[in-house]
Amino acid sequence: MANLNVVSICGSLRKGSFNAMVQRLLPSLAPEGISIKPAPSFAEFPLYNADIQNSTGFPAPVNTLADAIRAADGVIFCTPEYNFGIPGGLKNAIDWVSRLQNQPFASKPVALQSASPGPVGGARVQYDLRKAMMFLDAFTLNKPEIFIGNCASKFDEKTGELKDEATRGLLKQQLSAFATFIARVAPKS
Amino acid sequence: MTDQQLDVLVICGSLRKGSYNAALARTLPALAPAGMKLRPAQSFEHFPIYNFDIQNSTGFPAEVNAWADAIRSADALIIVSPEYNWSIPGGLKNAIDWLSRMKEQPFKDKPVALQSAAGGILGGSRMQYHLRQSLTSVDAILFGRPEVIVTFAAQKFDEKTLELKDKTAIDMIKLQLAAFEQFIRRVSAKE
Repeated sequence: MANLNVVSICGSLRKGSFNAMVQRLLPSLAPEGISIKPAPSFAEFPLYNADIQNSTGFPAPVNTLADAIRAADGVIFCTPEYNFGIPGGLKNAIDWVSRLQNQPFASKPVALQSASPGPVGGARVQYDLRKAMMFLDAFTLNKPEIFIGNCASKFDEKTGELKDEATRGLLKQQLSAFATFIARVAPKS
Repeated sequence: MTDQQLDVLVICGSLRKGSYNAALARTLPALAPAGMKLRPAQSFEHFPIYNFDIQNSTGFPAEVNAWADAIRSADALIIVSPEYNWSIPGGLKNAIDWLSRMKEQPFKDKPVALQSAAGGILGGSRMQYHLRQSLTSVDAILFGRPEVIVTFAAQKFDEKTLELKDKTAIDMIKLQLAAFEQFIRRVSAKE
C-alpha cells in the first residue's frame, strides 16, 4: 500500500483534553505506511458569518486548515461530546470549511473517535458528526467505532498514557480498517 | 404568572446582516399575543471558542456572562436559527456550550421554542432536532408543537425589505406564539 498521510483534528482546545491524548497516541498505533499528524488548530477562527466571508474573505487560519485537509488522504476526528452534540468550536470550523470552493471534505475519507468521562463515550457527537459529514460528501468509515467511555480511568492524566489494552487494540483495528477504507474509496487510477 | 406579561428573549443563530432568520426574528414581536413581550438577545458574535482552560484561568468572558444574565432574567426563549451542514451553526452551539458550564445554568427549566428558516424543502428541521437534543442536555423545557419551519425562504421574504410575506408562515407563527404563551404559563414555577 502506498504511504498515506492522514490528519487528525481534536474537537477540544483544552490542554489536558483526553481526546488530545487519544490524538497524540495515534501515530504509535497506526499500521505501517500510514502517517498521522495533527491538523492546524481552529482555535483562532472567528465565529462563522457570511458577511466576513463576503467582505474580507476567508480568514487565514481557515484556509490553512482547509489546505491541510485537502492535502491529506484521510481525516480522523478525536472529539469530546458537548451537550449531547458537536462542540461548537469544532462545528464552527466545519461550517467555515464547508463554504470554500473545492470543499475540502468532499470525497474525503473520515474516521471518528471520541472519549468521554461518561459511560456513553461520545456516541451522540459521532452521530451528529456523521450527518454533517454526509452533507459534505465525505466518506465516513463505518466500523469499528471508537467510543472511549469512562476515559478518566483509562488514561494516566499526568502522562497521557493509555492504560487500557482493550481500547488500544480497538484503536489499532480502526486505524487498520481506515487504511483499507482509504485505499478502497480512492479514485481509480 | 397567570396574567402578567411574559418577557421572552429571542436568540438568532445567524450573524449575517441579511439573514432570513434574523428577519424572521424581527417579525415576531408584531405577531405575538398581548401577554408576551419579545426582545432580541445580544449577539454571541464575540464569544471566544469554548476552551475550559480559559474558563479555568480568566473565568467566563464578560459577554458570555451578559448573555447568560439576559437568559436567566427572561421568562422564556425563542431560538430562531438557520441550519448549517445539517446541524446547529457552530457559533450558536458554542454559545450554548459556554453557558452549559455555568453555575446556576441559564437554560435550566427555561421554556424554549424553536424556529428556523432555510432555502430548501426541509426548512432547517434537521438543525431543530439537533438543538432539541442539546437543549435536553441543559435541562430546558422544550415546547413541542406547532413547529415553525419556514421552507424555501427566498420566496417567502421580500428580497429588498426582508419582510415576511407568506401568509401560511405568518399564521403558523401566530399559532406557535399563542400556544407558547400558554405553555410558558403552564410550566412556570408555581408560586
